[in-house]
Amino acid sequence: MPEQTDHLEPAVHLQKAKLSYPAPDGEIEILRGLDLTIHAGEIVAVMGPSGSGKSSLIALIGGLEVATGGGVHVLGQDLTVASEAQRTHMRRRDVGIVFQSYHLVPAMTALENAALPILLSGAEDASAEASRLLKRVGLGHRLRHRPSALSGGEQQRVAIARAFAGRPRLILADEPTGNLDQSTGRDVSKIMFDLVKEDGSAMLLVTHDPALAATCTRVIEISDGVIAAAAGQK
Amino acid sequence: MTDVSQSSHSSEPSGIKPQLRILRSLLTAELAAGIGGLKLFMGCVAIATFMIVGVWILGNGLAKSLTEGGTTFLGGDLAVSVVNVPLEPTLVGDLRALGDVAVVSELRSSARMGDQRVTVEIKGVDQAYPLYGVVKLQSGRPLADALAPQGGMASVVVEPEFLRRVQGSVGDTLRLGEQDFVVTDALLLEPDRLSAGRFMVGPRLLLNQQDLQNAGLIQRGSIVDFRYRIKTPDGQPLAASLAQLKTLQADRGWEIETPEDAGDRVRRTVERTTTFLGMAGIVALAIGLAGAWAAAKAWISRRARTIALYRLSGAGPGLVCALHAVIIGFASLGGIIGGVIAAVASVLPVKKIIASQLHLAWDITVIYAPLASAWWIVVIGVTGTSVLVLGTLRNIRPGAAMRDGEVTLSTDGPSAVAGLVLVFAAMIGATLSLPIPFIAGVSVAGICLTAGLLAAVAAGLARLGASLRSKGFVSLVVHKGLTDTASVAVRAVAIGIGIAGITAITSAQTSLETALRSELPDRIPDLVLIDVQPDQTAPIRQRIESDKSLGGLQADPFMRATITAINGVPAADALIRENKSWVIEGDRSFSWSAEPTGAELLAGSWWPADYSGPSLVSPEEDLYEAFDLKPGDTITYSVLGRLFTSEVANIRKEYHRTFRPEYLMVASPIPFKDAPQSWVMSLQGDTNEAVDQLIRDLASDHGNVTSIDIRRLAAQVLQTIDGAIGASLLVALTLMIAGGLSIASVTLAEVDARHREALVFALVGASRSEIALARLVEASAIGLIAAVVGGGAGILGGYFAATEALHIAWSPGTIALILPLVLGLLAAMPAALAGGLGALPRGRGQMARHLSN
Repeated sequence: MPEQTDHLEPAVHLQKAKLSYPAPDGEIEILRGLDLTIHAGEIVAVMGPSGSGKSSLIALIGGLEVATGGGVHVLGQDLTVASEAQRTHMRRRDVGIVFQSYHLVPAMTALENAALPILLSGAEDASAEASRLLKRVGLGHRLRHRPSALSGGEQQRVAIARAFAGRPRLILADEPTGNLDQSTGRDVSKIMFDLVKEDGSAMLLVTHDPALAATCTRVIEISDGVIAAAAGQK
Repeated sequence: MTDVSQSSHSSEPSGIKPQLRILRSLLTAELAAGIGGLKLFMGCVAIATFMIVGVWILGNGLAKSLTEGGTTFLGGDLAVSVVNVPLEPTLVGDLRALGDVAVVSELRSSARMGDQRVTVEIKGVDQAYPLYGVVKLQSGRPLADALAPQGGMASVVVEPEFLRRVQGSVGDTLRLGEQDFVVTDALLLEPDRLSAGRFMVGPRLLLNQQDLQNAGLIQRGSIVDFRYRIKTPDGQPLAASLAQLKTLQADRGWEIETPEDAGDRVRRTVERTTTFLGMAGIVALAIGLAGAWAAAKAWISRRARTIALYRLSGAGPGLVCALHAVIIGFASLGGIIGGVIAAVASVLPVKKIIASQLHLAWDITVIYAPLASAWWIVVIGVTGTSVLVLGTLRNIRPGAAMRDGEVTLSTDGPSAVAGLVLVFAAMIGATLSLPIPFIAGVSVAGICLTAGLLAAVAAGLARLGASLRSKGFVSLVVHKGLTDTASVAVRAVAIGIGIAGITAITSAQTSLETALRSELPDRIPDLVLIDVQPDQTAPIRQRIESDKSLGGLQADPFMRATITAINGVPAADALIRENKSWVIEGDRSFSWSAEPTGAELLAGSWWPADYSGPSLVSPEEDLYEAFDLKPGDTITYSVLGRLFTSEVANIRKEYHRTFRPEYLMVASPIPFKDAPQSWVMSLQGDTNEAVDQLIRDLASDHGNVTSIDIRRLAAQVLQTIDGAIGASLLVALTLMIAGGLSIASVTLAEVDARHREALVFALVGASRSEIALARLVEASAIGLIAAVVGGGAGILGGYFAATEALHIAWSPGTIALILPLVLGLLAAMPAALAGGLGALPRGRGQMARHLSN
C-alpha cells in the first residue's frame, strides 16, 4: 500500500500546462493551459472529441512529452525541468501505462511482457510477481503464450498486468477498452479498477465510453486543449 | 478480430481490364509520391550492376578481343620463327608453296637523332606485311607509301614515344647503324604487336627489310628474330597446312605458332585478371543482391499498413503484388541504368588506354556482347531478389496488420523457390561467361556454401539462445532477439556474405600487392649493354672499372639456342611437365662460361676452368623440371644454325627477375668461345651522372653497342605495379561500398523491426542507453558469427583466388584477420545505434504520435 503522504501531495498537478507540436505550418497547440489535480486513490476519467488532446495529456503526465508552458508536477517531480533520465526513472518505478493498441513485444511471452517493468527496476522476483498479476487478470493458463496467440482482450489484460507490475503509484490508461467488445471491455475495466483500489494508486483513464466514465471518481471533459467541464466527486 | 483478407476478394472487380485500370490508378498515386523509400535498394542494385558491367565490358571484352584477334596478332594463319640466322632460301621457297609469306625481322638497337640516342625495337618488314590487319599511321596513309624512299633517303616510321624522347618531329632524320633515315610518319597501331612475345625496351621503329640490311645492323651473331608469316589459301583447313608445315621443319629447329598461340602470355594474363575481377564482380553481385533484398524487405515492412489498407479496400493479393512489382521494377531499372552508366563512363577510358598499350584495334562494338550478358545477369539476379521480396506480400493479411500494427514478413514457398532459382541462374550465368569458369564456379559455390554455413551457425546460436535462461532486462531483450531463428539467420547471411567477399578480395589483393612488389629485386642493374662485340669487352670493362661510381659489372657472351632432343628423344616427346613446354618453344637464352656463374648448384659440379673435352652444359632449374634432367643426360640443341649435343654436368638454381640476363643453358667454352657472338654487360652506378656519362662515352666510342637504361624501365615497371595495385584497391573499395550499402539496408530493416519494440520498452521505463546496449549485444553476437564464419570463408576464398586464379604466393597479411572483425563490428554498431538509440522517436510530439498509432 502507498504511504499516507500520497494523500497530502497530489499524484498529478498541472497548472496552466501547455503542449504544442511543431508542424509545417507552424506550431499546433494541443493543450492550451490545462489545470488538473489527481490525488492517490482517485480514478479520473477524461473524455472529449478526437483530437482534443486526451492522448497528449497521457504523454505529458507520463513524461513522454515535455510541456511547452505551465507547470507539470507528477508524483512530486517537476517534469518541466526533469531530464529524460529522470522522467524515464519515474516511469519505470511509479507509472504504469496502458494503451488501446496494447503495445506488447511480439517476441516475448505474456509472462515476459508483464515482467518487463520489474526487470527494469532490478527486482529479483520478476517472474513470480508477473505471474501473480497475470493470474490476477485471469491469464494464469496463458503465461507462456506470445501475443500472436492471444485474443485482443487477453493481450489487453497482459498490458494491464504489465502496467500494474511493481505497484506503480500512477496508472495512465488511454482508451484501454477501445479495441474490445463490450463484455470484454467491462471485464478489463473491472480488473483495472480493482487493482487501483488494491494498490491505492491514482489513475487517469481516457475513454469515449460514458458508462465507463460514470464509474470513475471524477470525469473531466477536454475540448480544444482545455478542460471544458468537470463533474462529480464520488 | 475477423480476418477480412478472404472476404475482401469479393469486392475486387473481375476481368483483366478493370484490374489494369485500378493498377494504373494506384501506380499513378504511388509514383507521384516518389520511390525515395527504395533509395538504398537502388544503391545496392546500382553497385552490383556497376561491378558486373564494369568487369564484363573491361575484362571479358579484352579477353574476347584477344581470343578473336589471334590471326591478326600472329600476322598470318601460321608463323615460324628462328633466331640469329634467317632460313635458307630453299626453305623459304617451301613456305611460299603453302601460301603468301611475309617476312619480318626484329631486333633491338639504338637510334640517334641529333645528340640524342634512344634504345629502340626495330622491325624490318617486306612488301607483303601485314598479311592481316592494318597498320595505322598518324597521316592515315598506307604503310607502303610511308616506307617508300623520300628524296633518295630511306624512310622509317616511328612510335610517337620516340619523337617525344628526342623532341623531334616527322620529317627529321635519324641514324640507325650506318644509315640515315627520314622519319615519314608516326606509328599509331601495329596489328601484330602482341606477337613480339618479349618485353619492349624502347619505342618501335618500322622500316623496309632491305633498308634494315643496308644499315648493317644484322651481322653474324646478332640477336635477330626472323619471323615468316603464312597466309594460307582461302578454304584451306589450318590443320592440313600445319601438318604440311611440320614436315618442312629445319634440323636446327624453329618455333611454329598458330593464331591460338599469338599473344598467349598477354591473353593468359588477361584471362586470369578477368577471372579475378569476375570473382570480385560475382561477390559484388551477391553482396548487392543481399543488400537489395534487405532494403526492399524493409521497404515492404514499412508499407505493411498501406498494403493492409489496400487489402482492406478490396485489392486482392495479385493486384497488390503487381503494384509493388512495378514499383520495384522502376526502382530496379533506375539502379541498373545508373550502374551501367557509371560502369561505362569509368571503364571505357581505361579500356581505351589498355587497347592502345596492347595495340588492339579498338571498336566500341566489342563492348556490346559483354554489356548485354552483364545486363542479363543483373536483370535476372535483381528479378530473383524482387520475387523473394514480393513473395512476402501474400502473407500480409489486412486484419493481422491492422491489429498488431506490424507484420512478420516471410516469403511463401513458390516465390522462395522461384527467387532463389533466378538468383542462382544469375550467378551461374556470370560464372559461365568468365574466361575460366572453373575458378569462377568455385567462387560461386564458395559463396553459396558460406551463406548456408552462416545460416546454419546463426540458427544454431538462436536455438542455443532459446535454451538459456535470461536475467534482467538487457539479457531478456538480447535473448529474445537471438531466439528468432529466421531473423538471426537472415541477418547473419546478409552481413556475413559481405564480410566473406570483402575479406577474400582484400586478402587476395594484399597477396597480389606483395607479389608485385617482390617482382623488383632489392638491387637491380642500372644499365644493360647489348650487342657488345668480343673485342669490345676489354676496353668497355676497363672504362667501367676506371670509374669508382660504377660497379657490379657482369659480362657474358649471349646467344640463343633451340632445344631439339633430350637423350636422343625429340624434345616434344621427352617433355614431362606440360607447364614447362615453353623451354622448347622457340629459341632460349644461351651462354658459355669457364667459371661458375655464382648460382647455387642443385646437382652435379662445375667443369674445371681449363676444361677442353667434349662440350658440357649447365641447364637451369626450369629445364631440369621440364625433363627431369640429371647429370649425365644429353641435350641436343641448335645454336647459330648448327646442332650440338652436350652432356649435362650440373643443374643451376633459378633466380627470377633480377633484371640481369639469365641463361637457360650455360655451356663449357669449347666450341662456342670462338663462334660469332655478341656479349651482354650489366652494371650499377652510384650516381645517375656516372651512368649518363658512360652512356655518352659508349655512344661516341662504341656506336654499335646498345645501352638499355634499366632505370627508366624500372620506373615504368614500378608505375605499372602501382597502377595494378591501385586498380585492385579500387575493386576492394567498390566491394566495401557494396558492403556498406548492404549493411545500411540491414540496419534500416533493423530499425523498422525494432521501432515498435523500443516504444514499448520506453513505455515501461527503459532508457535509450539500455535499449541500445541490448541491441548492441545482440547485433555484436550476430556480427561475431558473420565475422568468424564469413571471415573464415573469405580467407579460404582469398587463398583460392591468389593461388588458383592469380597464381601468386598466398600472403594475406594481418588485414585478413582484422578486417572481418572490424567489418562485423561496423555492421553491429550502426544496427545497434539505429535499432537502439535511433529507434525511439525524438522531437516534440513524436512519442505521442507513435504511441497513438
